[in-house]
Amino acid sequence: MRSLAFLIALAIALPHRAHAATCDTLPNPVYLQVGDTQLNLMKRLGRALRDNKLPDGSPNPITLVFITSGSCTNISAIYTRVPITTNLQYIPSVAEVPAWTPTSATLSCTPPAGGVVPDIANSALFNSACTTDPPPATVNLSQGPTQAYVMAVPMVSSQTAITFEEAYFVFGFGVAGMIAPWVDEAQMFIRTITKSTLLAWAANISVPSNKWKGVMLDGSPMVVSGINSGTAAAIGILGAEVYDANRATMKVLAYRAKGQYAAYYPDSSASSRDKKNVRDGHYTVWSPTIWMDTVDGTGAPVKASARYVVDLIAGKTVTPAPSFGMIDIVAAVGLVPICAMRVNRAFEGGPLSLFTPPESCTCKYESLVDTSSCATCTTSCTTGVCRNGFCEDH
Amino acid sequence: MTLRAIFTVLSLVFAAACGENGNHGDMPKDAPAPQIDAGAPDASCFTDPHTYNEIINACTTAVKVYKDSHPPLLNADGSLPALP
Repeated sequence: MRSLAFLIALAIALPHRAHAATCDTLPNPVYLQVGDTQLNLMKRLGRALRDNKLPDGSPNPITLVFITSGSCTNISAIYTRVPITTNLQYIPSVAEVPAWTPTSATLSCTPPAGGVVPDIANSALFNSACTTDPPPATVNLSQGPTQAYVMAVPMVSSQTAITFEEAYFVFGFGVAGMIAPWVDEAQMFIRTITKSTLLAWAANISVPSNKWKGVMLDGSPMVVSGINSGTAAAIGILGAEVYDANRATMKVLAYRAKGQYAAYYPDSSASSRDKKNVRDGHYTVWSPTIWMDTVDGTGAPVKASARYVVDLIAGKTVTPAPSFGMIDIVAAVGLVPICAMRVNRAFEGGPLSLFTPPESCTCKYESLVDTSSCATCTTSCTTGVCRNGFCEDH
Repeated sequence: MTLRAIFTVLSLVFAAACGENGNHGDMPKDAPAPQIDAGAPDASCFTDPHTYNEIINACTTAVKVYKDSHPPLLNADGSLPALP
């Protein structure tokens, strides 16, 4: 039964090979190598960009052509220009596959001869958590939406929370840690040491990545499968947006950081999706996503369409404006746009400090993931600034 | 209004600001044992957080989960032992 669940998870996760095309024949391809936590973002943004239009209504498509891999591998790929030689994934336009949804599989294409160096690489945590080498002068770094990480348990588990100290013993000592019910290392589903999910948790619970106990798995779908078929002793680590897509079959644990009086979910409750505790600092296990593209000797982007995509993801104003709402997409995949954050940190697992974004989008974000108490507007507000249809405080 | 009445009203206001699960106004059920969180301030939430400790313990309307946890391998002084 467990094998069957695993095979079903693989079938859903893997791109459809029957549609293999040559990637460089797709409309305006931008090649990416991203963390597997970013798959849902690639799917929704990929669909929107394939059907993107100029303000006059004429088509302006970009095709996101991507593979997923560990954050540290992705950083290395763009720092040292390692070509992708395996088949890549992409999202079809509405005209190509009208019935495609984000739960559908991606399509597959073959790379150009000799492979292709990614135009964009993504790390779902601070690059410094992977390498102390500074980025080469040819690589530009942009901070994107915030990515939270969770510990999740099967529905059969009675657990609701885990503390910093418990997590230290569970994953640093394994069975010897004697933290019931997590005393079966075959039921502890973790990631390999190049993956942001493991590295982010490692920095937060003070267990270095090479010291973790448990079953190291290469992909998030495998962790999902492990949790879903696990016993009451099962526990796994996931990106919050991966958990969000699998809420029906597992439970998230509230986490109590060192020195914290209570444990908190990433959201204001176990059932909400507002990422309130990530945004205000009560939930501490999160990282910024880092988006890297290549620049020339003057610092100008080598590929304008790649920078366009990076700027979109980073929440910057782009020209021409897209025909879709980027905050809507970021919110829909469980990430938090920088403009909705009120805390920040300087390094992986580092202390949080208060943060004020240049242009707040909290009202807009909350309207998408919860309900917003902000006044709506069309052009101006009596208090605050009219932005995205809401009176933001600044 | 007597001083006692004012004090009572203020206490209720602070209790409402700091807790939503019916456990507040008192020390949380999992108030960290001194050997675990030695040196931490008391369990009151912070209404105007600035430091890291204040941010993670700021008053909030979010659900809180209090857990009474005593890992058996904690050192006697409450510190964590080195990893194996």
